[in-house]
Amino acid sequence: MQFEKEVEILAPREKVWNFIWDVNRFIACVPGCKEAKTIEEGKKYSATMIEKVGPFKVEFPTSIEVLERQELTHIRAQASGADNKIGSRMKLDLDVNLREQDGKTIVKFVAGVDILGKLAALGHGIIKRKADQVLDEFAQAVKKNLEGAS
Amino acid sequence: MLRRFRLEEPETVAEAAELLGRFGESAKLYAGGTELLLAMKEGLVQYERLVNVKNLKGLDDIAAQNGTITIGALCTHRQLESSVALLDKLPALVKLEQNVANVRVRQVGTIGGNLCFAEPHADPGTLLMALGATMVAEKVSSKREIAAKEFFVDAYETSLADDEMLTEIRIPTPGVNARSAYLKFGYLERPSVGVAVAFKLDGGRVGEVKIAVGCAGPAPRRVEEAEALLEGKSSAEALQSLAPAGVIAGRASQAISDLHGSQEYKEHIVGVLLKRTFQSAIS
Amino acid sequence: MAKAMSRRSDTQSIPVSFTLNGRLQELDVEPHELLLDVVREHLGLTGVKRSCDVQVCGACTLLVDGRPVSACTTLAFEVRGRSVLTIEGLAQDGKLHPLQQAFIEHGGFQCGFCTPGMILAAKALLDENPNPSEAELKHFMHGNLCRCTGYKKIIESIMAAAKTMRSNA
Repeated sequence: MQFEKEVEILAPREKVWNFIWDVNRFIACVPGCKEAKTIEEGKKYSATMIEKVGPFKVEFPTSIEVLERQELTHIRAQASGADNKIGSRMKLDLDVNLREQDGKTIVKFVAGVDILGKLAALGHGIIKRKADQVLDEFAQAVKKNLEGAS
Repeated sequence: MLRRFRLEEPETVAEAAELLGRFGESAKLYAGGTELLLAMKEGLVQYERLVNVKNLKGLDDIAAQNGTITIGALCTHRQLESSVALLDKLPALVKLEQNVANVRVRQVGTIGGNLCFAEPHADPGTLLMALGATMVAEKVSSKREIAAKEFFVDAYETSLADDEMLTEIRIPTPGVNARSAYLKFGYLERPSVGVAVAFKLDGGRVGEVKIAVGCAGPAPRRVEEAEALLEGKSSAEALQSLAPAGVIAGRASQAISDLHGSQEYKEHIVGVLLKRTFQSAIS
Repeated sequence: MAKAMSRRSDTQSIPVSFTLNGRLQELDVEPHELLLDVVREHLGLTGVKRSCDVQVCGACTLLVDGRPVSACTTLAFEVRGRSVLTIEGLAQDGKLHPLQQAFIEHGGFQCGFCTPGMILAAKALLDENPNPSEAELKHFMHGNLCRCTGYKKIIESIMAAAKTMRSNA
């Protein structure tokens, strides 16, 4: 499943860039994501993703790896996790692009998400909607954090 | 093979609600189990306790009095499809119930369970919405009525609180001029698209039009925008407006592309079913 | 017929007393046990089949109080105080039920896997409606699937049995 979100942030690019690497604050923007840990600064991280659709709940211990990094412009990362209780796996490919425009920073997220295993039985449509919702809330939370704080 | 759980068998609604409140997410109401047990068998959900509500008295009656039809949440689809009282007053609901799933599911599955599990590909919610039904929900010491319009929040999600139990469905008794119809389409086990219409036919004009679409999206929805296109029109004019109303209803259905069909296909089918339900109801 | 098994002391045991093919049965079951497993594994009656496991195909059809249920999705304790009929209980004193006879005479089965469920569902239909139209028959039997026959012979068998049963009545 592919998703694209673009969000306009009223903050300079450097501030946005630094925010992204402030792992705890950044991860806090992902709905359902907690316990962010740095394993290797700038390269490897871990977190736990908890998502719910009605009575169906998944808990994915997730490992995140940064694959590419171009200062102030681009990050490519990969995340993967498995919920052994339910028997499902999650894979995420994330591309983040930053550009400046009229004093604002435009952040573009391109995400490729794959859900494998039992959870896929819920139906591609439901999962797609949920993933879209999560990405949307995430983008909004990033924006709010950066525009609100000093 | 299911994982072990404890069975609780309360005798009153208050007891059942108390158990839900006490045990929270680790407990679940269990009636017919036609959806719940499937999810448990798949390993998608796990519960430490199932609260068997089939011993609760008075929740499986069908009655018509004082202008309201009441249906107990524990009525099985089989009871509904063979109810003489319902056939007289709500033939569209009887026809819907006759075609839910298969005869074995209808035998033990309850209308309450169907509504509360809120599986997107289900029938009754859509028609109940068009009929202006309300859902009666009870906690340990309180009771409230939820309009069908507000009952369905999202896929597998209703507006019931965790310690609340659906006990009854109330439908305003349709008057002499009232018409309603429900049609579904699907070629898999569960329906892919469902459309319900209800209206009054007075002096050749349609009024109090209600249109609901279900199965295509995550939850059934009323489509007020499409209703407005038909409201107050003569039957001939209304029939002319069915095509644009169908397009609006299709978009409003929040159709998701899945194994049941693409978004465009489902939206198209919504339009087709709207036309057919309306024609069926008006004749 | 209690199960000989070492149990945790907090295991919940539900006594289930029911009529199975006309005879009284008394068992202890745990809440999570499925009727299909209890009938096949504990009671050794393997006519009822596990097939789709999601209540769609009807191969696991059993009659509880004369009504068809999916044994794969029925908790065993639910039959307490009720009567259960399996395919093994249909023939009386070695004499085949008219439905069984009709399925043989009219070729209503090939591999036979769906057949116990088919026959039991058909019995429930005919007990309720001794003279069904083909449309009524198809509607009732809609949830019993067959991969072999294409259904024509099944319908013929049931209609023939219905005729026999009406003339016997």
